[in-house]
Amino acid sequence: MKFPAKLSLQKIKSAAFTTVCGTLLVAATLPAVAQTKYTSTPKGCDVKIEGTSSLHDWEMEGSLIGGFLEFGPGVQLDPAQATVGGITGDKVPATGRVIIPVRSVHSKADHLPDVMEHLMQDALKEPQFPRIEFNLKEMAFKGPHEAGKPFNFEVTGDLSISGVTNAATFPITITQVDADTIKVSGTAPVNLPQYNITPPAPSFGLGLMKTGPDVKIIFDWSLHKKQ
Amino acid sequence: MNDIHPLQDSNRREFLKNTSLATLMAVMGGVELRAADAPASATPLTKIPPPPSVNFGVIGLNEWGREILHQLSLMSYAPVVAICDTYEHAFRKAAEEAPKAKQYKDYKELLADPNVQAVIIATPTGTHKEIVLAALAANKHVYCEAPLANTMDDAKVIAKAAKAATKVVFQPGLQERSHPQRHFLIPFIRGGALGKDVMARAQWHKHGGWRRESPNEERSTQLNWRLHQKTSTGLIGEEGIHEVDATAWFLKNRPVAVTGFSAMRLWGEDGRDVPDTIQAVYEFPHSVNFVFDATLCASFDAAYEMYYGTDSTIMVRDSKAWQFKEAGSPLQGWEVYSRKDMFYKESGIQIVANGSHQSALTAGATADAYPNTPLWYALDAFTRNVSLVGGAVKDFTDLYGDNGSAKDLADSLAALKTYPAATWQDGLDATVMAIVGNEATIKKQKIAFEKDWFEI
Repeated sequence: MKFPAKLSLQKIKSAAFTTVCGTLLVAATLPAVAQTKYTSTPKGCDVKIEGTSSLHDWEMEGSLIGGFLEFGPGVQLDPAQATVGGITGDKVPATGRVIIPVRSVHSKADHLPDVMEHLMQDALKEPQFPRIEFNLKEMAFKGPHEAGKPFNFEVTGDLSISGVTNAATFPITITQVDADTIKVSGTAPVNLPQYNITPPAPSFGLGLMKTGPDVKIIFDWSLHKKQ
Repeated sequence: MNDIHPLQDSNRREFLKNTSLATLMAVMGGVELRAADAPASATPLTKIPPPPSVNFGVIGLNEWGREILHQLSLMSYAPVVAICDTYEHAFRKAAEEAPKAKQYKDYKELLADPNVQAVIIATPTGTHKEIVLAALAANKHVYCEAPLANTMDDAKVIAKAAKAATKVVFQPGLQERSHPQRHFLIPFIRGGALGKDVMARAQWHKHGGWRRESPNEERSTQLNWRLHQKTSTGLIGEEGIHEVDATAWFLKNRPVAVTGFSAMRLWGEDGRDVPDTIQAVYEFPHSVNFVFDATLCASFDAAYEMYYGTDSTIMVRDSKAWQFKEAGSPLQGWEVYSRKDMFYKESGIQIVANGSHQSALTAGATADAYPNTPLWYALDAFTRNVSLVGGAVKDFTDLYGDNGSAKDLADSLAALKTYPAATWQDGLDATVMAIVGNEATIKKQKIAFEKDWFEI
């Protein structure tokens, strides 16, 4: 752009101010049309895998969750509102993927934690299938939403573990942490045999421990709005 | 003596819980105090499945370098893909242990090999700094033999670089820090089994000149760097550093001063100026002194450590430990079924994971509790930590990309439950204690330690 040679600084400032105000006014009055994409942030991610056994319950923990969650145009999570903005019915237009590296989940057991980790990684065929992945297909709002509380949803998608993919449906909550950050929390039940995984049954000395076929993947997933 | 027991800490409660359990079990019929009853760190690593493979490069192929190659050859998950030495003939013997390894005469070329993930530096002490800095800059995981350096300035430079290199593992070669027997002993000792501590003592005795045979004068100078004060940290630095480190570790403290003595009793005629016999007294807080003596002139009783207390004394020798109890000292319970060995006129109770099982009374029952060498355990821990940290760094970077800061990564790595191993701070501490101890023995004087010597 070429400015007139004699255009004063005052006129330039005035023109710029008018342009900015106009843009803000349009933005405030038009519905949001852009998609909103959130990507994983390392702060505030926790994952826990809980299971049972013939001896005692067991659990493993990690803090790495990757992936994204992208809402369709117009979707707004306003903590003060009773419903999700920009949706009709309960369907929320959204896509997403959750990634959990298998080797990042560690046993916190006091005794032989490495053995438990190895059993789990071995059962999940970690070298060939290093990640647990969930690809979101449908997301339904479970309202009404109470002000100040997390939003409740039910998600359906493809859960891939150890090279086997099954449809999975489970509830999640989404909390608006601040203007740019959300936290997604949930528990995904997993039946190991459905993923061709034989529940480990290790022997310790003279004893045999049989792990149960059902485990729970419990997660708190922190995501930051992608600018 | 101060009533505060430096060996006791919060682990006492845990120890009492374990010993009470053991007492009950003994009364009920002698159920073992198994490894599972000990802290996780005491679990013999041989029971733990192998980690993903880590490709090694070994720099320095003399006697110790070849021993490292041998220990690595026992680990299917630690293939040696590259070896390096400036001396051409060193490759012949080394290749017997690592036949598939690429051979480099320049360590910089080895560091440029993308197939090498981790390096072990087993070169003369004075050359460590240059190689460590280059290796860390090349993003390699580093295991550096102890002592880290032969000057405090160089040791600090290494420690500083190691601290800054958060994406890789740096482990000084203080091998006892990874030994499961030591980790079994720590809660035992700190839990009060000694009563009030009295003193510590260690020795390293050998009959041999420390001189390595060489085909010519030039090679002799390269090989026998340990015999000259300019390039050597003496008997304390090159041999006793492990005992000095272990004592400070068990005492959970740094010494306040060291007084030394030295003499040339047998080997002085070959031109060396490093004394062949030394004694050093390290003064620790609470008036608990550690006496170390080493000689190349008399081999009687070889090497061991002693921790003396008012209730009992513990001897650590090779991979075993024994407790010698004073008459009338409290019964801890677990010793009922423990195996006892005679030393001179004293009966020592074996302290070993599973040692209180009734079967331990059978000769040889606990002989293989720790079947590997201290070096094996240290290299095993290093390999596992490299695998753990390397994997975590990759996962973090893959998942978060630009969303993850260096601090986020450091926080994530700090949460990892790594295998017991010496840290850069342990390496710096031990190196400073060894260098100053060596200086004290050479000068035959007392030197007070200053706090900032241990800081970077």
